[in-house]
Amino acid sequence: MLGYFKNAFTPRRDHADCSGCSLCLLVCPVWRQSRDVSLTPPGHFKAMQHGTSAADAAASVENCTLCMACEPVCPENIDITGIILELRRQLAAPAWMHGLQARMTEMAGRKAASAPSSSTMLLPDQALHAHPDLLARVVRLLGNNGTFPVSDDSSLDISLALEAGVAIPEQHLQRFLKLLRRLKKIIVADGLLLRHLKQWLPKADIIGLGEALSGHPAVRRGLCTTDLYVIEPRAYHSDYQRLVKHYDRLRVAHGCAFNLDLQRIAIPATARNLPQRLGLTMPNDEGQTRWVLHGRNINRIVVESLEERAVLEKVSNFPVVHLAELVDDGGHAQQT
Amino acid sequence: MEKSIDTGTMISETFQRTSLEPATPSAYSDFCHVGPDALVGIKRQQTNPPRWDGQGWQEFAAALRGCGIELRENIAARGAFATDAGGTAYGLPHGVVIARNAVQISSLLKAAQQHRVPVTVRGGGLTTEGESVAFGGVLLDMTGMSRVLHIDTDALTVRTEGGIFWHSLAEELRRFGMDYLSAPLNLTASVGGTLGVGGIDVNSPRLGCSADQALALQVVTPAGEIIECSDTQNADLFQRVILGYGQFGVITEATLKIRRYTPLRMHYFYYDSLRTAIEDMQLLNRNDASDYSGILTIMDCAVNLLVAFDSDEREAAFRANWQSHLRGYGEPGFALCMVRRYVLRPWKLPEAWYLYQRKRELFPEFRRSEYMRDGLMHDRTVVFSRAVWKFWGSKQMVIPDLATSAEKFVDAVERGNAVCRKYFPHYTLYCVGIKLRPEHKPHYEMSCIPPDAEGWAYGCEFEPMIGGQVYSRDYFQSFKNAIYDIGVDLGGSYYRFGGMMKGYIRRVFGDEVVDRHLAMKRAADPAMILNRDVIF
Ligand SMILES: Cc1cc2nc3c(=O)[nH]c(=O)nc-3n(C[C@H](O)[C@H](O)[C@H](O)COP(=O)(O)OP(=O)(O)OC[C@H]3O[C@@H](n4cnc5c(N)ncnc54)[C@H](O)[C@@H]3O)c2cc1C
Ligand code: SF4
Ligand code: SF4
Repeated sequence: MLGYFKNAFTPRRDHADCSGCSLCLLVCPVWRQSRDVSLTPPGHFKAMQHGTSAADAAASVENCTLCMACEPVCPENIDITGIILELRRQLAAPAWMHGLQARMTEMAGRKAASAPSSSTMLLPDQALHAHPDLLARVVRLLGNNGTFPVSDDSSLDISLALEAGVAIPEQHLQRFLKLLRRLKKIIVADGLLLRHLKQWLPKADIIGLGEALSGHPAVRRGLCTTDLYVIEPRAYHSDYQRLVKHYDRLRVAHGCAFNLDLQRIAIPATARNLPQRLGLTMPNDEGQTRWVLHGRNINRIVVESLEERAVLEKVSNFPVVHLAELVDDGGHAQQT
Repeated sequence: MEKSIDTGTMISETFQRTSLEPATPSAYSDFCHVGPDALVGIKRQQTNPPRWDGQGWQEFAAALRGCGIELRENIAARGAFATDAGGTAYGLPHGVVIARNAVQISSLLKAAQQHRVPVTVRGGGLTTEGESVAFGGVLLDMTGMSRVLHIDTDALTVRTEGGIFWHSLAEELRRFGMDYLSAPLNLTASVGGTLGVGGIDVNSPRLGCSADQALALQVVTPAGEIIECSDTQNADLFQRVILGYGQFGVITEATLKIRRYTPLRMHYFYYDSLRTAIEDMQLLNRNDASDYSGILTIMDCAVNLLVAFDSDEREAAFRANWQSHLRGYGEPGFALCMVRRYVLRPWKLPEAWYLYQRKRELFPEFRRSEYMRDGLMHDRTVVFSRAVWKFWGSKQMVIPDLATSAEKFVDAVERGNAVCRKYFPHYTLYCVGIKLRPEHKPHYEMSCIPPDAEGWAYGCEFEPMIGGQVYSRDYFQSFKNAIYDIGVDLGGSYYRFGGMMKGYIRRVFGDEVVDRHLAMKRAADPAMILNRDVIF
């Protein structure tokens, strides 16, 4: 009898279970940009159910932005991102990827990093690394006046490997995780890495940078009703059930608008496929960014992610600020 | 017209005929997944139509490329459309064209007429009888035309491309504080696909079906003409395209009525009798006592009448004038009623357990905090559609339905319910009224609106819960036939009468009406290329 119940706790399922309901297509930025069903999960899952190979799905796999918007809406609880990443692993071949793998193998041989001096660590993403002033501000804000350690570079390689479908040498991964296991709390800027860390370290307290900053009272005080708050999609979707409530509390308390659609999915402001993310081709996400802004009655845009800040600045006439910039303390964040 | 079958006597006759067959109906279905009685004596189309033989494809493909139309012939593009939501009809097109604009579709249809290549139009592909599956030829994917063209918040209209999903339309309208009037409770139904078949919402008892919300259309005829039509401009074409199952043209743009957005105040009443619940729902509809109403059953003895309102005033008027007339219980009252029922029938405890589990799973889904604010439901279609796919969705969906006049509805539902009970351990019925517009009578001919309905038509979907079970296609087919036979018997109609069920069309509408429409179709579509085998 219980066999008739499909519940949310069923194990993650694979492409063979796709009903073709297309709820994921509605939230998929690739579909919005291309209107090409074959580049979306129902398109390539249905085709795979009827005998197409991984190679036939290559375009779809490469075009996926890994925003993970599709996962929380899937009624069949299909591990869509996991399938796409696995297909990327099967299809990945470019020579430069061998370089990345060699670097990770070489790092794996090195001595493990020494124990961190604090119980909390921030793992910045590439964009935050490229903005040392903002990174310093984030560290000051979250890390109690500078005592907050920032991770070494191995997280960047691991993020890149996850994105591109490059196998991470087990020893390198374990070396990295060993360091993290000693921590009480890990704050992660890259949502894809966050998703994986939650799987690798199920007991650890791991949150996204957006959640960490938006939970800070001084930052929250900086929000106002005429703001459009742009949630970074990857981190949000990787812990959707919990974060949907977090942001709803923020909405109730501060009245700002969010880049959430009617299914409460975060609409990505960028839509970058793998070559674009790797800098091999030019991004073309203006259409997607304009959709986030369409019909909004706002005065300012607040972002969690620097990638989104850049494109929003390009497309809109509103001021765009990073969450960490909401607290103006002349170099020292107000503590409450 | 053929006579309906008394299914009860057929079972015993079947069992008397051969000693090889087992002694009980359930043992029979284990033994052979064909219903014991439903395939006897009635001519029906039960299979996919034959695949088009491909003659002239290469010339046609060259002609399309000559006009600059992108034709995708790779397996990844074609395989994406191998089936529809029903998952019982399978077919592959020779090629796929993503709709981009009316001129492109016009060129496509002109070439298709010339080379006699079938064109199957697909929106969300939510058909369940294979109507949107291409058995060869071209599949025209309308979702490529998904732009909202103009929102007029003063005139309360929207002009949109025809392939857009209702949900995508809602996303855009909401940014301006607007909403559509009525649409399927399914996020991925497209506007064009819905205007051709109906579109029933829980506000249809008050606002009618989606097809009644269309003010004007841009249509590309099967011969490739691009024509604007409405009730005042090219009215004949408008009347045929609305509720026309895609036979008379491709809907490329639509002007629809819209309204200001309001969240819902939702109430649930529980009944242990289907008949009483239907009577109460009809009472509400006749008296315009609610803005939304519909019935969802959990079991025969657990029936939910949902009633909802757009404003505090309407809700207060309902409470003052109508609530006391309803014979349903609130949640605690119904729980007590069920406790009494099962205390007196302890051998039915597994049924009680099922009911309890179902409630535990289902109820929170309709109250998810993401979609509720201050006790109001903000996105009814999101809530219902997600629940439908989560609890009823699977790779195969078999949803036969019956549509009748108000007077015949209880009878139709009770008979359909008995059929469900015979075929499946668990199933859900979804019943809703559809307010009719007398001035739209010409739109309704040969459609899901039953010919004898006045004021309201009523529809009931019969939705087995397939879960992990495996049933043969013949088993599903015999179930559907048993439901559809009730419609023939009662002189009703169906929401899903095309595709594999096209064998029913002459039986329900009669030769005179069908032949008249067939003559119009032949005149409009000389090579009979557009949505071939759906109706004719
Ligand atoms: C789980 C589920 C729940 C449903 N719930 C409801 C509900 O609550 N209410 C309701 O009314 N219906 C419901 N339906 C039925 C479904 O919503 C309707 O069949 C729907 O309106 C079809 O829209 P579509 O875009 O999927 O059309 P499709 O299935 O793609 O096409 C339907 C027909 O129209 C033709 N067509 C498609 N687009 C065009 C166009 N632009 N121009 C001309 N012809 C076209 C196709 O060839 C086909 O014959 C449900 C179906 C499912 C599977
Ligand atoms: S991860 Fe994002 S881009 Fe990729 S399929 Fe899902 S919704 Fe589309
Ligand atoms: S939401 Fe899930 S089941 Fe539905 S089409 Fe997407 S992957 Fe398939």
